Amino acid sequence: MNDLQDHRMIELKNLTKRYGDTLAVSNLNLSVSKGEIYGFIGPNGAGKTTTIRIMGGVLEPTEGMVVIGGINMADHPESVKRKIGFIPDRPFIYEKLTGMEFMRFSADLYGVDEGVFLEKAQALLKKFAILNWADELIESYSHGMKQRLIISSALLHDPTVIIVDEPMVGLDPAAIKMVKDMFRDLAEMGTTIFISTHTLAVAEDICDRIGIIHRGALIATGTTGDLRRIAGVEDADLEEVFLNLTTEEQKLQ
Amino acid sequence: MKEILALLKPRFWSFRNGSYSKDAKNHGLKGLLFGIVGLLFWAGIFVIFYRVLVYFQGVQGFGDVLARKLMSMVLVTLFSLLIFSSIITCLTKLYLSKDLILVHSMPVSTAKIFLARWFESTIDSSWMVIVYMLPVFLSYGIVYKAGLLFYTTVGLTILPLCLIASGISALAVVLVAVILPAGRLRSFFIFFGFALFLVLLIAFRLMRPERLVNPDTFASLILYFKSLETPGSPFLPTTWIFDSIQAALQGQVGSAVFDLALTWSFAIAMIFVITWISGATYFTGYSKAQTTAGRLFPFRGGRSRQWTYVLNHLSGPVRAFTVKEIKTFFRDQTQWPQIFLIIALIVIYLYNFSVLPLDKSPIKTVYLQNIFSFLNMGLATFVLTAVAVRFVYPAVSIEGEAFWIVRSSPVKIRTLLWIKFCVYYVPLLILTEILIVISNMLLHVTPFMMCLSVATVFLMVPGIVAMGVGFGAAYPDFQSENPAQSVTSFGGLLFMILCAGFIATVIVLEAGPVYTVFMACFRGVSLSVLQWIWLVFSFSLVLILCILAVIVPMRWGERCLSRNDKIF
Repeated sequence: MNDLQDHRMIELKNLTKRYGDTLAVSNLNLSVSKGEIYGFIGPNGAGKTTTIRIMGGVLEPTEGMVVIGGINMADHPESVKRKIGFIPDRPFIYEKLTGMEFMRFSADLYGVDEGVFLEKAQALLKKFAILNWADELIESYSHGMKQRLIISSALLHDPTVIIVDEPMVGLDPAAIKMVKDMFRDLAEMGTTIFISTHTLAVAEDICDRIGIIHRGALIATGTTGDLRRIAGVEDADLEEVFLNLTTEEQKLQ
Repeated sequence: MKEILALLKPRFWSFRNGSYSKDAKNHGLKGLLFGIVGLLFWAGIFVIFYRVLVYFQGVQGFGDVLARKLMSMVLVTLFSLLIFSSIITCLTKLYLSKDLILVHSMPVSTAKIFLARWFESTIDSSWMVIVYMLPVFLSYGIVYKAGLLFYTTVGLTILPLCLIASGISALAVVLVAVILPAGRLRSFFIFFGFALFLVLLIAFRLMRPERLVNPDTFASLILYFKSLETPGSPFLPTTWIFDSIQAALQGQVGSAVFDLALTWSFAIAMIFVITWISGATYFTGYSKAQTTAGRLFPFRGGRSRQWTYVLNHLSGPVRAFTVKEIKTFFRDQTQWPQIFLIIALIVIYLYNFSVLPLDKSPIKTVYLQNIFSFLNMGLATFVLTAVAVRFVYPAVSIEGEAFWIVRSSPVKIRTLLWIKFCVYYVPLLILTEILIVISNMLLHVTPFMMCLSVATVFLMVPGIVAMGVGFGAAYPDFQSENPAQSVTSFGGLLFMILCAGFIATVIVLEAGPVYTVFMACFRGVSLSVLQWIWLVFSFSLVLILCILAVIVPMRWGERCLSRNDKIF
């Protein structure tokens, strides 16, 4: 049991978030192991982004806790955030900095060694095909380029946990394939990845386990096989499983 | 027309829905505060103009001339203000608003989009100017016992004045957007701000206000007053409006109606012209504005050796945010005109002191110098407050929608706020100390007053900067298209009021004991024990107040910002 707990990189315990009278996340409990890619899917307004933002330390939960690498976010937010690479769904960044300046800004924040910074930053920017734009102001970047820059900066400090909200939005097919391959490689090397997405094909393709959230509550979790069994549709794809489970839940409510 | 109204509906509905929003519970308090401050300003303007006009009426021969000249100046100032504010709002409404992509994708002609936006801009840029001009005209009406014709004429002339000013601004903006190379639209702000700075300086220099307090120049002033009778240019809309209102004030219906007709016909012609020109050019300019702004100055890669040396002494997060703050501030070209304006404000401020005719005053010079020095402390810190509300207060809001970076980074909100405090504290302290030292040197104050002023300002600047950061953190606006506009928000107003209170309290606490010390020195006697106690008590209170002004707002801002969920 203790061995299992040691491998839990992400733990959400009784996580609840209320916006005034609106219950966005309700008593959420889940855990993700080291090196696992966990997909978080759900309809619009289900509470995915709220959960992701609480996990990234961007929002405070109303109740419950987020434990990353055995450390409670509420007790030591800075230590936890140093372990995380957070990638939001909308690429809002400092428009008046250049791409390379933003990378240096992230490096300074997350304590990346000055000796290795330049080499790592250039390698990441090259990987994401934006090295030629490194000295241009971010305001001149396209949506996809900003998204690539955010992903690059999130990987700069070698995070042990990556939390991503809609990673493929704004990326071209080549970049999507590259990101998917990279996530798989990182997971193999022990990085834990938590992905929230609407793109069910992406979830099915790269995630080891998937959780379905509906109206703030986790209604099912497991491998795609487990989800098929829960939904009672053995030969269906994830889309059908998803629709089946969320519609069923809606009927029950 | 139907389409123009449809384009204006979202604005109207958003305004109406404001009372249903989640923030509505605070609207009562905010409305009350804005209402009281607004009413006080309104009443203040009325009282000042009423008293000035009553005083003018008592000046034999010149009274009516002065009153007429004052109205002419008010109208020209009003017109200039309207043009200035319209240019800013037109640029935003026509080229920079976030909803423009959606609006331009709709099946509506460019001219109609332009007209809807221009109409919205006219209301936004004019309503406040109109509201605060009403007490001016009301005071004229009461002092000159005017009838219904005057009030009707005023009402009917102000409207075309706003339309003409807004029309001229829109025309200038639309043409500049077409002429300027792609992406250079924002740079227009810089040149506009610089031009405004020069105009302000030249206008002030030409006014030579020092002559008004120098009795030796009265002979030439009589000649000057005679020149006041010169009418304005017949080609200026303000001249027609002035003539119309003056005619109405004297009960000359025909003349009032003629000038009114002239004004209205010009306003309507203006609308036709801008609609026609915008139909042909607005979309071209809008398309160009979508292109990325080119750099005004070429990029200098890397950090200099000195810069690197300084930065290496800072911790990673502090270095990251310090560099980011400084770079984004200086690269944001919309900030630059504000800097020019502040330089103009400081030059005018110091120029005032350089021309004060202290030696010609009937009051003993040494008294006057020290009284001015004391007032100078208050004025300099109030200038600092004006600068702080423009630059320090929006410092948190300026993070905008990129604030998620701060929230997800391993940096405490407290650290971020203190970094912002330090970044603004150092230049503002230098600025205020320079201001106070130079103005005191111009006043030739005693060494005691010089030391007191420098020390007091040194203690007050951290408090004012901390209040700016703290209030900015407590009332952030991350969604604003222009965070600098948060100056006029509830938090900005509250910050200004509390700063004024803080400055006044410090000055009052110091004034009494300093006067006692001053009088004791003047009479050559030493202070009594009770006076010493009072002195120590007052200065201790000043010290405590200045420390509290730093700690309390910073902690409050940190708490509010940490708990703020609305920002996402």
